[in-house]
Amino acid sequence: MAEMWINMGPQHPMTHGLWNLRIKVDGETIVDAEPEIGYLHRGYEKIMEVREFQKNVVLTDRLCYVSSITWSHCYCLACEAAMDLDVPERGKYLRVVSNELQRIASHLMWLAAYGPDLGLLTALLWALRERELFLDLLQLITGARMNQNYPRIGGVRNDAPGDFEKYCAKVIGHFRKKLGEHEKVFEQSKLFQVRIDLRKLDPYDAYPEMDFQPAVEQEGDSYARYKVRVEEMKTSCDIILQALHKMPTGPYRVKPPRRIEGEGFRRTEDSRGEALFYVIGDGDDRPYRVKIRSPVFSNIAAAPLMMRGNKVADVVAIMGSIDVCVGEMDK
Amino acid sequence: MTGALIDLFGWSYALASFLLWIGAQLLGLGNWISLQLGAPSPGPLEGMIGFVTGAPLTSLVAIILAINILLLWATAFHLLIVMWIERKMYSRLQDRRGIMLGLGSSEILRNTLGRIPLIGRPFRKASHLGTGFLQTVADGVKLFQKEVITPASADKWMFHAAPVMIAASTLFLFIAIPWSDGFWIMGSRLPNGDVVNPWGVLVILGAFSVAPLSILIAGWASNNKYTLLGGMRAAAQLMSYEIPMVLSIIALVVFAGTLDPFQLVRQQSAPLTFGLGPFGTVQIPWLPNWYIFNPILWIAFVVFFITVIAEAERIPFDIPEAEAELVEGWTTEYSGMRFGIVFGFKWLRAIAGAALIAILFLGGWSGPVFAQVWIPNIASPGNLWPIPILPQEFWFTLKIYAIFVVFVWIGWSVPRVRIDQILNIGWKRLLPLSLLAILLATLARGMGWF
Amino acid sequence: MDLEVVAFLILSGLEVGAAVMTVTAKKLVHNVFWLAVTLITIAGIYLLFLAEFVAWIQIIVYAGAVPVLFLFGIMLTRRKIMEEPHESQ
Repeated sequence: MAEMWINMGPQHPMTHGLWNLRIKVDGETIVDAEPEIGYLHRGYEKIMEVREFQKNVVLTDRLCYVSSITWSHCYCLACEAAMDLDVPERGKYLRVVSNELQRIASHLMWLAAYGPDLGLLTALLWALRERELFLDLLQLITGARMNQNYPRIGGVRNDAPGDFEKYCAKVIGHFRKKLGEHEKVFEQSKLFQVRIDLRKLDPYDAYPEMDFQPAVEQEGDSYARYKVRVEEMKTSCDIILQALHKMPTGPYRVKPPRRIEGEGFRRTEDSRGEALFYVIGDGDDRPYRVKIRSPVFSNIAAAPLMMRGNKVADVVAIMGSIDVCVGEMDK
Repeated sequence: MTGALIDLFGWSYALASFLLWIGAQLLGLGNWISLQLGAPSPGPLEGMIGFVTGAPLTSLVAIILAINILLLWATAFHLLIVMWIERKMYSRLQDRRGIMLGLGSSEILRNTLGRIPLIGRPFRKASHLGTGFLQTVADGVKLFQKEVITPASADKWMFHAAPVMIAASTLFLFIAIPWSDGFWIMGSRLPNGDVVNPWGVLVILGAFSVAPLSILIAGWASNNKYTLLGGMRAAAQLMSYEIPMVLSIIALVVFAGTLDPFQLVRQQSAPLTFGLGPFGTVQIPWLPNWYIFNPILWIAFVVFFITVIAEAERIPFDIPEAEAELVEGWTTEYSGMRFGIVFGFKWLRAIAGAALIAILFLGGWSGPVFAQVWIPNIASPGNLWPIPILPQEFWFTLKIYAIFVVFVWIGWSVPRVRIDQILNIGWKRLLPLSLLAILLATLARGMGWF
Repeated sequence: MDLEVVAFLILSGLEVGAAVMTVTAKKLVHNVFWLAVTLITIAGIYLLFLAEFVAWIQIIVYAGAVPVLFLFGIMLTRRKIMEEPHESQ
């Protein structure tokens, strides 16, 4: 059959957001692919240069609207590295808890979006139903259901409510039962990735004190990525319970300096891969330069490599499994 | 055994006679007026009156009425109910309530009819308490209001011909599918009261087989890459699933010895009987002789069930319109009521498939009857007419809906299958299975077993 | 005139016309469409001969399967099946 280019996007059910994947097909087989991104470019790195360090936190949680806290967290860590600031122990634990809650919520959003990609609309409703519980927990601790603005340079914004551990334990107990159902529903599909869990490899905050096994799969296909995400959700549940159990009392936040002279960088394990913030201060109260490294941006570059030789239906499975978030990809 | 509630031709004939009688009265009035105005003696319309009330025209009008009644029954009535069943059912699978638009949803109804003390009760409910049945009607009305857009670079003639072909072949399915001993179009009544239609199942298969071509034409004529891919997928899928479908029916036909839906149903309404070759027969009196209970035809049933899901393009096999990658597949460029036709007729094909499953394997319209009421018959005056409390139409509709619920259940709990996997299932699994079923059925028939 | 003769004349007229269109139409899909019309009208003529079995088999095999197979065979081997206004890249 004749080879032809097909635009999948910018407005296409496959793209969860505004980007374009052009694929060249020979009948049903993909010969070549070419991602086109930048539809949502807002110039984050430049905007951050004209705002004060602490005020930038609110920008970073708009990087990805389903995984806000992990991004603010990464930025705060980078700034703290530049400031040589030490966060109080309780602040570190609260960060870990909120981070992992956000990770589960983000993975559930991914699971919800992945269902319709594979033609299973039921999974959308089921995963969103479970996500609701974690959004409630996040709301308890941060006060918002979306674009949670919780980490601060020097700690977190506020302490957790008194009976937070009780709620968490209840939700997680329920969620572990439900996750089994999700796995039963989702047992077929195909993707790639060598995963390094930075929480182990280059630990930050209270992660060194946590006892967990990073989720790693040897195969690099969609199914492996799916399994990694499901495993990560289970790991996150363990980490949350451990952190809440071990959480010390005391202050949760210190006051950071307004000005930075020097540079700091920090990489964290974001919901989608390795997130990196690099902050340079020239002695002013605003950053001289900020660099954001988005995992989705890096993964999307591999699209042609992943696509070639697969079928048209695999586009959705593969691109869905790397969990594209256009906000952080286009910055 | 239960009787049929509806005697379609009898009713249509009575209705046609009545309508033509009204016409003849009007003509007679005109004749009388023209006679009063001084026309010559028999009147100019005298011959017309004789023609209008004559048997040939009455029969013709009766047949047209019968076809229309059956198609309206199958499309308008069952299409709406089945869509409602599907939407309610998958909403329950997804832990939500689904469509809720009810009679009380309209402010106007609530403020007028709802105010009436005794009968206004169903209209007084808040909109979120309805059963949702009006939602499917509202969707249909919405489609009628929308503009029909023809893409500038489409092959206009073919683009508009394809929905017509799809609609025609789907409606032809319903011409061939009988709904009971009395509710049918295609067939003829023998002197002993039995109805026969010797090639009924073949006609249904023929009507199913025209769809791939029209879908391919629709996909190509839209001149869109998504529709072309969807059309190719649809044609490949429907073609490759038609073969196991026909072969599994052949297994059944070898066993049952007839292609006549009426005969098949008559055979299945007896008590369950197994032939054991030289050892005689075993009868299980409390089970009907449905072919699904037959251990050999069970294979054919499984193959046939899967192929019907694929023929109706329902979810595990809905790659022709896979909305995740091909937007809406071969229906992408259709809008307005043209989309309504290509979309709604997919449900109709699912209904026809369910009806075929019911006729072939589940005993069709046979079912237990509990009581009959005798009333005077309008179609043949002077005779009493038995009205069964649970007529054949009821059992047949019930079976169709039950099969459809299974379709929905399967469809909304599994992900979509990829094109190469679909073809693998069709050619490597279902085809050998159906051949095995034919072989076993032939052997069993020859040896007198089962 | 007998109704059967009228039906035969209509069907055979359609058939001959469609056969001519099958040969003369410019686009592949049009050819196949007219081929299908030809084959279906032949099934109609079989019905007139009271050869019902042959008629329905004709529709299943010839009208349903053969044109699609033709279309598949030609579409899969021919390089150009759609007009692409802008050849990209």
